[in-house]
Amino acid sequence: MGICYQGKTLKETVDEREQLFAKTGHAYGLEKLDLVEEDPATFMKFQMRLVAACINARETAKLISANPMSMVQGELLFMLANPEGDVISASYGLAGHIQCMPFIIKSIADLGFEEDPEINEGDIFHCNDPMYGPPHNADNYTWLPIYYDEELVGWTVGLNHIVDVGGIQPGGLGTISTSVFTDGFTVPPTKTGANFKQHKWWDLHWKRRTRTEMFNVLDDKMRSAGIVVLHDRIKEIIDEFGIDYYRRGLREIIERERRVLVNRIKSLAVPGKYNYLHFDWVGYKGNLGRLWPASNRNWMLHKPAELNIRTDGTLLTDLEGLASEGEFHCNAYEPAVRMLTSLGMWPMFAYTETINSSLLYMTDWNIPPGSMFNPQNPWAGTVMGLGLVAGYIFIFTNTLSYAYFARGYLEETFPQDASGIGYGISGVLGDGLQWAGGDMGLLTCVAEGATPYHDGFPAAVCSPNPASDMGELEVTEFLMPTQVNIGRKLIQDYCGHGKFRGGQGIGVLQMVNQPGQFLQIATFGDTHGLGACATGRSGGYPTSNNVVMYVHGTNMRALLAEGKPYPTDFVEVQEWIKEGTLTAESVEIYNGSTPTVQMQDGDLYVTCAGSRGGWGDVLERRFDLIEEDLEYGWISPECAKTVYGAVTNGNGKIDTKASDALREQMRNRRKERSVDAKEWWKQERQVVLDKNWHEDARNMFADASKYEKFRKQFHGMWQVPEDYTL
Amino acid sequence: MERDDRFSKENLKRLVEGTLHWEEVKKAIRLSPKDSDRFWKYLEVLQEKVPWDDKILLRISDHLYIVAKDGGRITKCDCGHEFGDYRVNWKLGCQVYVRKTSEEIGEVVTIPEARHNIELVEMREFYCPGCYALLGVEVVPPGYPPVFEMIPDLDSFYREWMGQPLPDESPDWFQDKTLDKPAEWAKEG
Repeated sequence: MGICYQGKTLKETVDEREQLFAKTGHAYGLEKLDLVEEDPATFMKFQMRLVAACINARETAKLISANPMSMVQGELLFMLANPEGDVISASYGLAGHIQCMPFIIKSIADLGFEEDPEINEGDIFHCNDPMYGPPHNADNYTWLPIYYDEELVGWTVGLNHIVDVGGIQPGGLGTISTSVFTDGFTVPPTKTGANFKQHKWWDLHWKRRTRTEMFNVLDDKMRSAGIVVLHDRIKEIIDEFGIDYYRRGLREIIERERRVLVNRIKSLAVPGKYNYLHFDWVGYKGNLGRLWPASNRNWMLHKPAELNIRTDGTLLTDLEGLASEGEFHCNAYEPAVRMLTSLGMWPMFAYTETINSSLLYMTDWNIPPGSMFNPQNPWAGTVMGLGLVAGYIFIFTNTLSYAYFARGYLEETFPQDASGIGYGISGVLGDGLQWAGGDMGLLTCVAEGATPYHDGFPAAVCSPNPASDMGELEVTEFLMPTQVNIGRKLIQDYCGHGKFRGGQGIGVLQMVNQPGQFLQIATFGDTHGLGACATGRSGGYPTSNNVVMYVHGTNMRALLAEGKPYPTDFVEVQEWIKEGTLTAESVEIYNGSTPTVQMQDGDLYVTCAGSRGGWGDVLERRFDLIEEDLEYGWISPECAKTVYGAVTNGNGKIDTKASDALREQMRNRRKERSVDAKEWWKQERQVVLDKNWHEDARNMFADASKYEKFRKQFHGMWQVPEDYTL
Repeated sequence: MERDDRFSKENLKRLVEGTLHWEEVKKAIRLSPKDSDRFWKYLEVLQEKVPWDDKILLRISDHLYIVAKDGGRITKCDCGHEFGDYRVNWKLGCQVYVRKTSEEIGEVVTIPEARHNIELVEMREFYCPGCYALLGVEVVPPGYPPVFEMIPDLDSFYREWMGQPLPDESPDWFQDKTLDKPAEWAKEG
């Protein structure tokens, strides 16, 4: 006798979910939506009750957390899942995680949890192991079964991004890890509590296996409390509507919203194939020495995608050509891919009445086995695989923008580039207190890309979280007192240019304040000198690169003591060092992720990130928009001239006659220095024939050529001899 | 088809020109359901905008259109330049300029610290040979095959989604024929 409806086991129930969809093309085989059709008002009331319950759980529980990411940056989520694992409703927050829950429930069903360790009323389960569904170990899932008259009728789930995972680097988003053994505290599905309470032994794991015991234990209490609150509320809702209504209602929500999504694609897009491309780079060479010989190298990572908008309104994303798995921190599994990339789908078409997993029923993926997002090594490092998946969020924002543009719905375009950063930090204060933290403020507040009709807004969106929120700086400083923010502002000229330009990125300057015995910072970023996207939109430039500076041994303390001005962004830091006002013993500059760097009192941690790309030809940018840019200081007069061919008359106005003449010159220059495509093809072909690449690029091409699809394209494009190999 | 003026042709024209007021754009974003005749209005607006008469089948970027011409379907710039069969990546019909040095990239990325790693990537610019408008930008390693951004399934779109099949339907239309071009170039030498 199983624990699910009609005495079925959990495994039978989960398997039936898949079979019914495969057989009928409808979620749970529902060809008719009886409850929706019979009384839509009651149905809506039912659905909104479920949503409200999730939001209530979130808002109540988050007050228990001390982690700034949960408290003020929205990095949490509370969900209701049906017994099969489909998320029916969720609070706002880290919405992508609804994609993972069906994988987690399938994992425990396949592992036979029903028999051992058993799934009883009041049992609490936990998992952050990517092998079983969570995207990476920073994202921790805690869940509780809901029983009604001894039948399993759902799960309540709490999820949040923790501050530190106990890996070889501080924080939750490491930039170095060679396997799961260096990823940190990674827990496969585990029963961690009973009678609606976590066991005491569970706290010890957080205390002993991570750096931030206080944050992590409180986060665990937050998740546990939230799921109990949600559990009780769901049972009240079942009492109100009746178990039969509830049981069927959950399924109808999924099927109804699957239909909404399919119809939305059909009504906004144009079917066809759309290509997207992104490159990443990982630098381990020289950082790991003899201990991990397979990891003592650098990787240029090839991340292509072909989005197929199929005639039936469903989407197939093909990742043939994706870089191979490796002994690095960048591997991920299908749930992680589905989870994070869904954040590119929410704003484009997946916005529905509630956040739910209907998306799973209309999106298919080909993620080749052996690639970094389908690793075959069971111990593959995944601590920051999600960071590398992030570039794939923009498959959907960018390709669907083209599809909507073609259809005439320009207002629905929303292109983006991968350009956010964040950091992990840890140290030992003067009194011996060990601590760790991290800031995702620059990841949770990024500019909008330019669209075909307007400039991107700055500080407008969060790619990995629909609830964009930079958080309150004061809270972050209270919790990470070594990081004093003395500059946080939009950076002039820092955006992808175009007829319409992307929103500017945000520059941050922090001074390290009384770090005590020890302090180290590791930054993760998206660009690595390769830019934020491999293709611009409609002739616009993709945005360029993150800037991360560690400035050591400065005279900042003296400048402050003397009441003198101080620099507030990376541009000023460079200028002031050049002028001699700011002195520094050494400066490290990176264009993306960095190794772990030790910092001293008075050192500066300076970043710039989060700009987005342009749309259209720069020489077609309207002069009135450039004047506005000049007035607000978003663009410098030099940039206006060099990039846009706009000459200023000294009063912030554009000299249109001189500008028209300059633009004509710039067009002529294009004519003079470009070659026809055939000539260009010959030149590029020669590079290919000579294999004249940097080692990292050559390795990338060799790796991508393992795939038939890429090899055919590469060999066909460059017409290389049959015996050409890399 | 019945006209749906909840989003007017005039406003669409302004949206295409990039001059529609943000408040009006927001109304368009909020429009639910969307005006279902948008595509037909769009084609009207675009057809009035271009200086030639070939029938526009689809707009694929600011300047580029797939048009019906002499029994074929070709990519055409609004300036009138024709790139040939739309199934071949139009980038292979462009004038191309490659920014390889930091100085060259610096002309469009004016912040030195944010420039690309020129040991790994180059910046390609694809211009229309007719009007020299910048049609596409790629930041890729040298030797990376040009990205074909979009190959629409026009027949399915017009027949199944828009209910107005094209007169020259054929399964051959929805294919990528880009590799025919370098094969031709290789033969020519």
